[in-house]
Amino acid sequence: MSLLQVRDLKKSYKRDLFARKNDVLKGVSFSVPAGSITGFLGGNGAGKTTTMRCMLGLDYPDSGTAEFFGAPLSSDSKRRLGFLPERPYFYEHLSGVEFLKFYAHLTSSWKAPVLNDRIAQLLKRVDLTHAKDRPLRSYSKGMLQKIGVAQALIHDPELIILDEPMSGLDPDGRLALSEIILETAKKGTAIFFSSHLLHDMERLCQRLVVLKDGICIYEGETDALLDKSGVELEIYYFEQNERRSLRAQNQEDLQVQLKQLLGRGAAIIEIRRARATLEEIFVKMALRGRNP
Amino acid sequence: MRPVWVLAINTYREVIRDRILYALVLFAFLLIGLSLALGQLSFAEQARISANFGMSAIHLCAVALAVFVGSNLVYKEIEKKTIMTILVRPISRLQFVFGKALGLTMVIITMIFGLACILGLVFYGLGQEVGARFAVVLLGLLGEALVLLGVTILFSMITKPLLVVCFSIGVFLIGHWQGSLEYFAAKDQGGTLKAVSWLVSHLLPNLERLNWKDLVLYADQPLDFASKAAALGNAAAWFAICIWISTLLFMRKDVG
Repeated sequence: MSLLQVRDLKKSYKRDLFARKNDVLKGVSFSVPAGSITGFLGGNGAGKTTTMRCMLGLDYPDSGTAEFFGAPLSSDSKRRLGFLPERPYFYEHLSGVEFLKFYAHLTSSWKAPVLNDRIAQLLKRVDLTHAKDRPLRSYSKGMLQKIGVAQALIHDPELIILDEPMSGLDPDGRLALSEIILETAKKGTAIFFSSHLLHDMERLCQRLVVLKDGICIYEGETDALLDKSGVELEIYYFEQNERRSLRAQNQEDLQVQLKQLLGRGAAIIEIRRARATLEEIFVKMALRGRNP
Repeated sequence: MRPVWVLAINTYREVIRDRILYALVLFAFLLIGLSLALGQLSFAEQARISANFGMSAIHLCAVALAVFVGSNLVYKEIEKKTIMTILVRPISRLQFVFGKALGLTMVIITMIFGLACILGLVFYGLGQEVGARFAVVLLGLLGEALVLLGVTILFSMITKPLLVVCFSIGVFLIGHWQGSLEYFAAKDQGGTLKAVSWLVSHLLPNLERLNWKDLVLYADQPLDFASKAAALGNAAAWFAICIWISTLLFMRKDVG
């Protein structure tokens, strides 16, 4: 079942009254199934943020539709989704706890003890218990990102949409956020997020949606995309007191290469599947416009 | 209604914790203090001078709060993108605008009430009566602040804060000078000034209708509750219409 179904979304902007319209989205369609982590990939200006804004009713699309949980966006569906925008700014006058209470009360009514427990639990999960009473203006960028994720999770949504959640974070912050994403997905929440960090995408996402110039050029399993570029087998061996490696194109080639090596008296150390990284494929697909 | 209230409380907290409010309150304290000092200079009119200065201080602060904070009320949310995390919650754009306006209204009421308590003490010290007349004048000030807040929010939907402040101050000045304009228009031989006066009186609020300071300055002024209630109703209508048009404009806006 698809939690989010985007169909033929088109959006153009005019910089000023006399400027020509700039078509940002030229018919974007994709879906996000339940219980998956779906990555939204695309170069700068591909239209990822615009797609998210149009989906969520923040910007009005020229045409096309976005359905959440099988129906157009409504108060009910808004209660079932969480969102963290790119480079979020929050109310700096609020403390961490006040901030989470504000978003919780905006979404639904809570009994005080239940909400307090939920906030304590979330602050622990994003490792911000120590800063819960500090105003947000004193938070670092990483802390703001974490509290932003916490506000998206406060009402325990079924689908979370994150726009560039890793941007600007140091490796520690990225790792912490990755863990939060994986942990959340384990509990059955579907996650749809955009990022420029392809290594994280490859590691976290089961599915990918790739956007180029306002058009969706790939939608499907991450593994299928990686396999599309062809899988090679890498043989590591020891010969003449030296560690060496060579690549086999397929199983038959592997058998031939192994026979030759063993015949020469080489010691086989390891055989690994080697395939192109997402980064290599993305560069081909999105930036150069070639199929993998 | 709950999201409106949650937003209003948040806006109230935000403004209360902002430095601009304390600057305004300090300014009001200084004016009330000055009113006492100036009152000393007059032999017979000390209470009247103090009352005039004190009420003017509250008046200016309420108007400044409505215009300066109101001009940024929605604009800042869009500019800082805080609005993006709010509008994806189950809250409509009408509820958003109304919640923000309600929050700032609560701040204005708190400020008027706080300053009125200080002024009430001054009145008490000078032997002036603090009763229904005093309260009615304050209601007039609140009505004017609400009209200006509505107008300011409306302008903020179509332009940037600096221009919004200029336009709103323009409405404030014209709103208080409509009587003078009508006076000169009546003496105008040509039709231009008459036409301008007619347009202004039909398109902009007459804020002098809410200026009831004379009630505390002159004891012989009649306290006509019916006309005061009508003027307050008119102010509430101006506020409601401005918020409604603001929401219509806001509903067409891309906020991402």
